[in-house]
Amino acid sequence: MAKKPLQQITTTLASMSSAIYILVIIGAISALGTLIPQGQAPDFYMQHYGGLTGRIITVLSLHRLYQAWWFLAMLLLLCLSILLCAVKRLRRTRSVLIFSSLIMHLAIILVLGGAAWSLGYGHSANIELAEGQSVSLAEFGFAPGQLTLDRFQIDYYPDYQPRQYSSLLSLQGYQGQDYHQEIAVNHPLKAGYLKIYQSSWGWMMQITTQAADGQSKSIALPDRSEYWLDQSRHLKLQAIFVPDLDETRPGINSLSPLPRNPHVLIALVEHDRVIGMNLLRAGESAQLGEYKFSLDGFSYYSGLNVKEDRGVYLVFTGFFLLLAGMLVRYLAENMVRKAA
Amino acid sequence: MENLFTDLVFILLLLLTAVNLFRLWTERDLSKISQLILWLTLAAIVAVIVVRTAAAGRVPFANLYEFALLFSCGILVFALWVRQGLDSSRLDLSVAVLLLIIIAISTTLPSELGPLMPALQSTWLHAHVATAVIAYGCFALAACLGVVALSRSQQTAPGLDEIENRIYRMVVLGFIFLTIVIITGAVWAEEVWGNWWSWDPKETWSLVTWLIYAAYLHARRSYGWKGRKSAWMVIIGFVIVMFTLFGVSILLPGLHSYL
Repeated sequence: MAKKPLQQITTTLASMSSAIYILVIIGAISALGTLIPQGQAPDFYMQHYGGLTGRIITVLSLHRLYQAWWFLAMLLLLCLSILLCAVKRLRRTRSVLIFSSLIMHLAIILVLGGAAWSLGYGHSANIELAEGQSVSLAEFGFAPGQLTLDRFQIDYYPDYQPRQYSSLLSLQGYQGQDYHQEIAVNHPLKAGYLKIYQSSWGWMMQITTQAADGQSKSIALPDRSEYWLDQSRHLKLQAIFVPDLDETRPGINSLSPLPRNPHVLIALVEHDRVIGMNLLRAGESAQLGEYKFSLDGFSYYSGLNVKEDRGVYLVFTGFFLLLAGMLVRYLAENMVRKAA
Repeated sequence: MENLFTDLVFILLLLLTAVNLFRLWTERDLSKISQLILWLTLAAIVAVIVVRTAAAGRVPFANLYEFALLFSCGILVFALWVRQGLDSSRLDLSVAVLLLIIIAISTTLPSELGPLMPALQSTWLHAHVATAVIAYGCFALAACLGVVALSRSQQTAPGLDEIENRIYRMVVLGFIFLTIVIITGAVWAEEVWGNWWSWDPKETWSLVTWLIYAAYLHARRSYGWKGRKSAWMVIIGFVIVMFTLFGVSILLPGLHSYL
């Protein structure tokens, strides 16, 4: 008797109507996730959707829908339904049609399994490196290896639209091997299961700050970012890189993205109010308030996405089997139809 | 030059619509004339694409406007194929109206000739876009055939089984190609962003269409869903395809911001 409810559940789940419902429900939920902005802080939803709707969204995790336990449970239910249908089918006649259909359905489980593997064991990190800078991958949780950015380069079209971003990388002592390779968008470095992608870039400025008490500090500040000089007084330094300053016109405009006439606009900000600013060339310095700032130099930095993930190979195997199964399945059906 | 051919496409489509509206009232056989206009429209769209390719010095695979051109071209090719042995003014009419809608939408899209941005510089681009043209072309024709099936007054009208068969074959072909579109997109995304799936709106909606057509195929196989139900399903499926293409780009920007 105890087995009966379980049997009933498996029978229901193995039926085609449940499979169709599951497909449509997953589709509807996925669509819903594109209509609600994902991954914002709970306050955002309270402000934009009002108290009640905002609360519903956060309580049901509709703001992190694709990671919500109940969405993952739906995907698990889909896998179960596929498996039960597969078992049911295998009991019936065995033909090319059934076999290929089985492969294509089990391939979907493989794809979702690979995704689960990535979620559990995949590891990635964003690393920003200035030209000449070096880091140890072990610091970011990967196998030991020394990663160096030898050079970063941007190619432009004549209208200054970016054509390609590329980084010349050295990866030394990674699992007993050395790599020296130029990566670009669409061309990552592959070292075993480790992949390094070109993901962003920017300018990095080397600035020396000297406080009134004579204490000096050397900092590396990325373009359009800020550095806290004194938290207690809400005092911070902001810097904007101007690669090709137009000196023929008033205001601060760049003629091109190329460093032909490079300047750095530094601003001293207190309580979000600018209390002093100056335009510096490399080697120049300026006194703002109690601080003296010197621009020692500047260089590109390259934003690299480093990733180690074996789940993706399961996913790709799943893709291959899905497609192969599907092609055989429908070609076989076509041949049967023509023969009839 | 390009504008001249685009205008020509528009005029030919209006003509196609008029001829097929006339066919609804007359007994005269104007099928061959309708076919001729379809061929001429195809030639004009191919001309637009060729002129654009020559001017840009690259394949016209870079933005939504260019995809709309390729999509229209695909629909015409499939229409010429599907209408063989099926004398139906309703099919030609629905194709004409659909193409008018797509061309009208495309005129509102930015059509400047831009170079390919770094993320698009990949051989995957060609496979991804070409298969999308085929998949969406098939779904478009399945929906047009669905309109034909619905507009027949009697379920037992001669030829309805044949229409039903053609709908099924179009959906199967479209489904296989949509699977390839999604797979090439995923493999490419892994190569360019290091993430084969990121629930970007365009990705998600293409998955939604895949699920809808998967549901259709299962319903048809297991419950013999034919006739009006299946006709409605392929029409709804295609409305979602159109939303994935145009609606998502305009209303829900994401990683596919260029398309």
